[in-house]
Amino acid sequence: MSETSVLLQQVVNGLSLGAMYALLALGFTLVYGIIELINFAHFNVFMVSSFVGMWALQFLGIYGQSQALTGFALAGVLLFAFFATMLAAGVLGVAIERFSLRPLRGASGTTGMITTIGVSYILFNVILLTVGAGSQNFPDPLPVARWHFGGVTVQLKEVLIWGVALLLMLGLQLFVDRTRLGKAMRATAQDAEAARMMGVNVDRVVVTAFFLGSALAGAAALIFGLYYDYTSFIVGYTAGLRAFTAAVLGGIGSVTGAMVGGLLIGLIETLGGQLIAVRWTDVIIFSILVLVLVFAPAGLLGRASPTKS
Amino acid sequence: MAEIGKPPRSGVAGLALRMRAPPLARLSPQLRARFGAALVLAAALAFPILHGNDADIDAAANALAFAALALGLNIVVGFAGLLDLGYAAFFAIGAYAYGVAASWQVQPAWNGFWEPFQWLDLVARVHHAGGDVVHFQVSFWLMLPISAAVAAFFGVLFGAPTLRLKGDYLAIVTLGFGEIVPIVVRNTPSLTNGAMGLNGVAAPHFFGYDFGIRATPYYYVAVALVAVLMLVSRRLKDSRVGRAWMAIREDEIAAAAMGVNPVRYKLLAFAMGAAFAGATGTLYVAKLQTATPEMFMFPVSVMILVMIVFGGMGSVWGVVVGALLLQMLQSWFLEDLSSWLHALGRLVHVAWLQRIELASSIELIFGVILVVMMLFRREGLIPATRRTPALALAEQSAQPTRGGFDHLPGIGMITQRESGRLLEIKDLTVNFGGLAALRAVDLAVPAHGIIAVIGPNGSGKSTLFNAVTGLLPEHSGTIRFAGEEIGRLKPHQVLERGIARTFQNIRLFPNLSVLENVTIGMHARLSTGTVGAVLRLPRNRREEAEARERAREILALFGNRLLPRADHVAGSLSYANRRRTEIARALASQPKLLLLDEPTAGMNPAETLELAEQIKSLNRLGLTIMLIEHKLDVVVNLADKVVVLDHGEKIAEGPPETVRRNEEVIRAYLGRSAALA
Amino acid sequence: MLEFRQVDTYYGDLHVLKSVDYRIEAGEIVCLLGGNASGKSTTMKTIMGIVRPARGEVRFEGQSLSGVSVAERVRRGIAPVLEARRLFPRMTVYENLEMGAYTRPRGAGFEEDLERVFALFPRVEERLRQLAGTLSGGEQQMVAIGRALMARPKLLCMDEPSMGLSPAYVEQVFEIIQKINGQGTTIFMVEQNASMALQIAHRAYVLQTGQVVLSGPAAELRENEQIRHAYLGELKVAAE
Repeated sequence: MSETSVLLQQVVNGLSLGAMYALLALGFTLVYGIIELINFAHFNVFMVSSFVGMWALQFLGIYGQSQALTGFALAGVLLFAFFATMLAAGVLGVAIERFSLRPLRGASGTTGMITTIGVSYILFNVILLTVGAGSQNFPDPLPVARWHFGGVTVQLKEVLIWGVALLLMLGLQLFVDRTRLGKAMRATAQDAEAARMMGVNVDRVVVTAFFLGSALAGAAALIFGLYYDYTSFIVGYTAGLRAFTAAVLGGIGSVTGAMVGGLLIGLIETLGGQLIAVRWTDVIIFSILVLVLVFAPAGLLGRASPTKS
Repeated sequence: MAEIGKPPRSGVAGLALRMRAPPLARLSPQLRARFGAALVLAAALAFPILHGNDADIDAAANALAFAALALGLNIVVGFAGLLDLGYAAFFAIGAYAYGVAASWQVQPAWNGFWEPFQWLDLVARVHHAGGDVVHFQVSFWLMLPISAAVAAFFGVLFGAPTLRLKGDYLAIVTLGFGEIVPIVVRNTPSLTNGAMGLNGVAAPHFFGYDFGIRATPYYYVAVALVAVLMLVSRRLKDSRVGRAWMAIREDEIAAAAMGVNPVRYKLLAFAMGAAFAGATGTLYVAKLQTATPEMFMFPVSVMILVMIVFGGMGSVWGVVVGALLLQMLQSWFLEDLSSWLHALGRLVHVAWLQRIELASSIELIFGVILVVMMLFRREGLIPATRRTPALALAEQSAQPTRGGFDHLPGIGMITQRESGRLLEIKDLTVNFGGLAALRAVDLAVPAHGIIAVIGPNGSGKSTLFNAVTGLLPEHSGTIRFAGEEIGRLKPHQVLERGIARTFQNIRLFPNLSVLENVTIGMHARLSTGTVGAVLRLPRNRREEAEARERAREILALFGNRLLPRADHVAGSLSYANRRRTEIARALASQPKLLLLDEPTAGMNPAETLELAEQIKSLNRLGLTIMLIEHKLDVVVNLADKVVVLDHGEKIAEGPPETVRRNEEVIRAYLGRSAALA
Repeated sequence: MLEFRQVDTYYGDLHVLKSVDYRIEAGEIVCLLGGNASGKSTTMKTIMGIVRPARGEVRFEGQSLSGVSVAERVRRGIAPVLEARRLFPRMTVYENLEMGAYTRPRGAGFEEDLERVFALFPRVEERLRQLAGTLSGGEQQMVAIGRALMARPKLLCMDEPSMGLSPAYVEQVFEIIQKINGQGTTIFMVEQNASMALQIAHRAYVLQTGQVVLSGPAAELRENEQIRHAYLGELKVAAE
């Protein structure tokens, strides 16, 4: 393969990863936009969801990668898997908000963040202790199909990932722009007290943000499993940190920013891995995080500044 | 007068003491605390003699190492309020610093450069078939401070880019650094042997005695380390340095406005915390004689955080107890509990009970502890702030006093008479996102005058104060104070020049005592630094005692209102007393110019009159005053000159009587009926 | 219409309102005077249910409001015009107006209410698609009042409607307040601009350190020595 086509192939891979990070980043941004909390539990909501996705597929009798389905059977299986995973993830997110964060609303400083670290740790260890430390083979009902464009190969699963991610992000944008609850979310993000005075139930808005953000993390988790064909108790940490970087890069609090940031981080990861070395990927991504925070704290599309006023 | 020092009454030792001992109760709290600390130390020293089990002594040594780490993180998180999620990175840096300096990992070829080091016994020349090589054999005792210094250097390096960030972002960046350091270790095998880990790290020697792999000598070093770090922590906490940290934690803007340089003190906290971890890392690796990147990953950072949250953030005894308890839980209690469960399982023939290994669920327990503590006991087992006794009835009631102050304690700077214009503002313009909050404002404050700034809400009055005190660097125009341009100075530098202020919505340090609030006002006038605070030289003791005495004198100015509450946290004061404390804090900085932003807001007429007279008396004693005020009777009574702002523009200036008759002022501010009357 | 009975409120340790009584009759304009930090904004928050009284109760149209949610209060006919306008800066003017009508199911007279707002503020209709944050201060105040009117309030609670506005706008705003009152909406207004407020108000309360120290018909208060002294710029230089 030529140098260019290798890089182009990495762009294709980066877009798939980026789509996943974007979905995950949206969860950080939705919650931060409304209650200014970095939700560390989100990392492991993603990880737990990947197991839920795996169990959902196994529930339908799909194990390993050898049982490729087609047509309606495939569509039905995927629909069920996405629905079940997103719903479970959403419910998990809501439960976390309800039981560990709502009692702390209005508490000062780092209280909320420390709590989400604790919750994240609990989720992590519950999976570790019940499922074990080994990697789990993730069921994949997708038939192997590839298309070649010059030196670049595009797989069916990548097309599926892009389609699902695009659909979900479009749906979210429509929800936030058009619906009554979506507008209430934006209003609350811009001025929570004023929104409350208009009669907006801020608790319901916060729950909605957690539900949507976690459900999107669920979709990202299923995509992760289908893309890599495995999952394990540690996948939340790396993916979560990259997605968080994506949210910051795009401008935390900005829905469009999270999408753009996610794609950029995906590309940086694959191209950086190709051009420099995979073992330095995390260092590169963290350097970007620090550089963005120091020199352009509002991110590419953000308005809220993470520096002190 | 009661002793102001804060002995560790709440420590474990304190608890034990309170339970028995009527004779002990007669000792002063300070003596009792020392006695308690001595008892704990004695018990710690006797432990290996009374309890010969090597494995338990080893576990205790490890627990002490984590107590030392908890003390370090406590400085960063508990004192300075900077959430650091990558603290294990500094532990790793200290560990690898010693690991490389006392092992066979790095062996450069021998040349003349190394000879002086050979004389100092830092390296040895080793004969090798392919040419002689250098063997590093730096002494453990030398490496303890060196590792601390190296880690402190990295603390500053990592801290610097994060200083402007809000707490939650800072946490993420530190998490990133915590992640990067083990990756770098893994990816630079020539220096660190990568993922395989460093091996054959030399054990310490003490006058020829080789520590080897016995636990006891390491245990004693760990006891000494923890004792020293506790002493350092306590002394720093009760010093000018510790107060500056806590002020930043409570309210960074107010801290800066009271003379604390936030950049410097945050970096100092990072450096100090990192130094603790660096020294501990050296001890830890010397004890294990090996180091791998896995020993310093995120879970370690979280574990130390759990320890200080559990014990009580900001509380020196608390974090040590928290660390020891959790370590004991991990190495002893969970094992025991598991074997009891196994026995129970065998007894009742339940297979899964026999398989339970609670030790492996320690991280789960940590997670639960974090959540439970945050939800139900945020201040930890041993809280840092102590309860204050209720006031006696006589102390609760305070009659308004009349006539103001007749003296001002500790004022050196303002007695010197200045003449002419003390503050001169020319063409000051401030924009907020395209909107002009101040437009080309000219203003002069004569020395020893009282100037009132009035105008409707939103007319730019507080913006004017913020620009003068360095909180709004983005302005144009000039601000000269005592002949010097101060428009580009930082808030703490403005205070050093002699301008102190209060805030419209009162920015005290709510969790610090009234006395501490006022003492922080003196920050710029005191000189004790880190070294002085730790060593407590006679000079430093004297300065501290004088500062506290002066703070009490300033509180005493307000009669019965503040002095009985000197040890209460500022957050528990009434509105009017908060205003008074804020003024006391500003006075403590010995200002030439005092900026008061609505000092009488929220006060009733009697209190207003009292404060107005006090302000007048401050002026009589030599202080120049600029105040924002809505109560026009106060303005007329106090001010020599009134400046009226409207929509960010100065629309009038002059003696109160003249301004009151100005057409434009009446229209903008006083309203139509005033013009008609 | 609105009644405070011996209301006490706290922020943490801070006692803000101390046994406060207000009574506002239907059709009135009632004005609340007082300095900064006297408890005016807390009064507004207590009416809306953001701050809950520790003791005493707030009644609206004869019914207690204890335990009634903010949304329900808006639905029953209380709408706020917030201090410093507090529009949603990155939403359009239209969306801001929609937020005003948040508690009512869409469609029920929404267009009608919109027309009513446009009739009062023709400028608002011109700016409908603009982001609220890009408007001038005066225009924002119009949107803020329009937003409150979209809730079809029986009682309009206004927190410093003159704040930060140029004199010309202040007069315009006060004229509009009178017009809205003339259309049958009761108005409870916190103001610093005492002379203007007392000119259009029927009655007034004076709040000081959380206590009502004076109340009565606006015309009487205008002549009151103490009020003239403290709020109307009628200054008497007290003898030293």
